[in-house]
Amino acid sequence: MAAISPFFLLFLIPIVPLSILAILALIVRPRPIKIPIKSRHVFITGGSSGIGLALAHRAAAEGARVSILARSAGKLEEAKKEIQLATGVEVATFSADVRDYDAVSKAIDESGPIDVLIVNQGVFTAKELVTHSPEDVKFTIDVNLVGSFNVIKAALPAMKARKDRGPASISLVSSQAGQVGVYGYAAYSASKFGLQGLAQALQQEVIADDIHVTLIFPPDTNTPGFEEEQKSRPDVTAIIAASSGSMETEEVARKAMDGIKAGKFTVSCNFEGFLLSLATTGMSPQRSFWLAFLEVITAGPIRLIALFFQWDWYKAIEKWSKTKTK
Amino acid sequence: MAAISSLFLFFILFLVSLLIILAFIVRPRSVKIPIKSRHVFITGGSSGIGLALAHSAVSEGAKVSILARSTENLAEAKRSIQLATGVEVATFSADVRDYDAVSKAVDESGPIDVLIVNQGVFIGKELEKQSPEEVKFMIDVNLVGSFNVIKAALPAMKAREGRGPASISLVSSQAGQAGIYGYTAYSASKFGLQGLAQALQQEVISDDIHVTLLFPPDTDTPGFEEELKKRPELTSIIAASSGSMKTNEVAKICFDGIKAGKFTVTCHFIGFLLSIASTGMSPQGSFWLALIEVMFGGLIRLVSLVFQWQWYKTIEKWSKKKKQVNSKLD
Repeated sequence: MAAISPFFLLFLIPIVPLSILAILALIVRPRPIKIPIKSRHVFITGGSSGIGLALAHRAAAEGARVSILARSAGKLEEAKKEIQLATGVEVATFSADVRDYDAVSKAIDESGPIDVLIVNQGVFTAKELVTHSPEDVKFTIDVNLVGSFNVIKAALPAMKARKDRGPASISLVSSQAGQVGVYGYAAYSASKFGLQGLAQALQQEVIADDIHVTLIFPPDTNTPGFEEEQKSRPDVTAIIAASSGSMETEEVARKAMDGIKAGKFTVSCNFEGFLLSLATTGMSPQRSFWLAFLEVITAGPIRLIALFFQWDWYKAIEKWSKTKTK
Repeated sequence: MAAISSLFLFFILFLVSLLIILAFIVRPRSVKIPIKSRHVFITGGSSGIGLALAHSAVSEGAKVSILARSTENLAEAKRSIQLATGVEVATFSADVRDYDAVSKAVDESGPIDVLIVNQGVFIGKELEKQSPEEVKFMIDVNLVGSFNVIKAALPAMKAREGRGPASISLVSSQAGQAGIYGYTAYSASKFGLQGLAQALQQEVISDDIHVTLLFPPDTDTPGFEEELKKRPELTSIIAASSGSMKTNEVAKICFDGIKAGKFTVTCHFIGFLLSIASTGMSPQGSFWLALIEVMFGGLIRLVSLVFQWQWYKTIEKWSKKKKQVNSKLD
C-alpha cells in the first residue's frame, strides 16, 4: 500500500491541471475568431494624432480602406498628408465632436458600412478631485465614455446589416487607468472603467451578429496628449504610474492592431500590462482557453502581487502627505 | 501516510505564513465608522434603497439629510421617517446633474461625516434600441452626478477637525461588476464608480476619509418594478443567476458594511462570489478576506467562466429562435 501511494500522487499531479484545461477548452465563450484587415473598412475616432494616428498608419499599411474622425479639420488634413507620404494610401477624413450624436451619425453614414471600428478618442487631465473643476470632470466623461456610446450607436445598424462581409470588430481604447484607479485620475479612471462595463454588455448584445468587441489597455504612451498631461500631473500620480513605465506610440499601435486581428477581448501592451490584465480580468469573457487556464492558475498569486503594489502605493501616499503637512 | 501528513503540515504552515504576510501588508487598514450623533447625507434618499438607508441611519441616532429631485417625494419620505422613528430629517431638493444646486444644498446641510451617494436611474435596453439621450441620462445621473455630490461635499469633509473618520459610500450594483445584455449604459455608469472609488480612496485616505462601494443585486424598489416591465427578456434570464432581494435587507447589509469601513460591500453569497471574481485592483482592508481572495481567486475565475459559458449559450439559443421567428414572418 505504502509503495503505491507516492506513484499514485505523482500521477495525480498533472491530472488536475489537464482536466481544468480540458474543461476550459470546452466552455470558453465566445469562441476565438480572426478579424481580417485587408480591403476592409477601418474607422478610427481620435485618428488625427497619438495612438489613433499610429493605428491609421498600420491599417493603411495592411491594405485597409481607412477613415479617421476627429474635431480639428486642420489636424485631419495633416494626418491625411502624413499617411499618404508614408504609405501612399489616401484616408477619408471626417470632422465631428464625438459628443454630438447627430454629427457623428452623419460622418459614419457618409463613410459607409464599417468592418473594424476603433473607438480611440480620449482626453485626460490628472488632478486631485478637490482641484478638478466639475466642468472638466464632465468633459472627460462626456468625451471618453458618452462619446464612445455615440460612435458605437451610430455605427451599429450598418455593421449589423452587412451581409457576407465576415466578422466585424468594435475596439475601445481604454487605459491601464481603466484597470486600476490611480491618485489624480478619478475622472479619467471613471471614464475608462466605464468602457469595461460597456464592452462586456455590448459583446453579449452583438455576438449573434458576428461582431467582436476588443478592449485595449495601453500604459502611459508618448503622445502629444501625454506630453501636455505630464506637465501638470500630481507627484503622487507620477510615482504610482511609474510602476508600469511608458511606451512609444508605434509600439502600442502595433500591439493593439495585433490584438484586434486576433479577436481578443482584452489586449495589453507590455508585460506589466499583461499582469495587470490578469489581475483585473474580473467578469471579462476569455476566448482563448490557454489564457483562461493561465487566469485560473495565476489568479491567487497575482492578487497577492496586486496587494503588495497597493501596500507600496499607500505607503508612498502616506509618506508624501506627511512631507506636505510639514 | 507520512508523505500525506507532512504535505498537510506544509500546507498549514503555508497558510499561516500567507496570513501573516497579508496581515502586515493590507492597505488601507479598515476603520470603524461611527454613526451616532454624526451627520449622514444621502442622495436619492426619498425612495428605494436610499430611503431605507435613511431609516437605518436615523434609528442609529444620526443627524440625517436626504437629497432628491422631487419635493413631494422628499416630504413623503420625511413624513414616513417621522412616523416610524419620531425623528425629523432635513430635506434638500436638487438634481445631481446641477453642480451649483448640489453644492448649495450640501453647504446648507453643514459638514458631512457620512456621505452616501445613492441616486441612480436605470433603463435596461439593447444599445441599438436605446436613444443617445437615455444613455447620456444614465451616465450623467449615475456617474457625473456622483462626482458632483462628492466634489461639493469634499472641502467641508476634509476640514472637519477632530470629528473622527469620515465615510464616502457609493451605491453601485452587480451590473457594476459584470456587464450584461441590455445594460450597456447602466453597467458603464456603475463600472465608472469603481474607477472613481479606487482613485478617490488614494486621494482622501490622508484626510481620514474612507471610501465604500456597495453592490446590491436586483432589489425590489419602486424603480425596479418599473424597470422589470420593460427590460429585455435576456437581461432577466441572465440577472436571474443572482436573484433579487428586499430593500430593507439590502439597506441593513449596506449600512453594516459602511460602519465596518469596508471598501467592497456585498449583499448575499452570490454577490460575495462576484466580488471576489471582480476584485481586480480594489484595496482590501481585511487580511481574512485578502486570504480568501488569494486562495480562491483561481477557482472563482473558473466558476465565472462557467457562468459566461451558460450566458453565451443562452444568448445563442435565444437569437437562433428570434431569427427563426423573423424568417417565418418574411
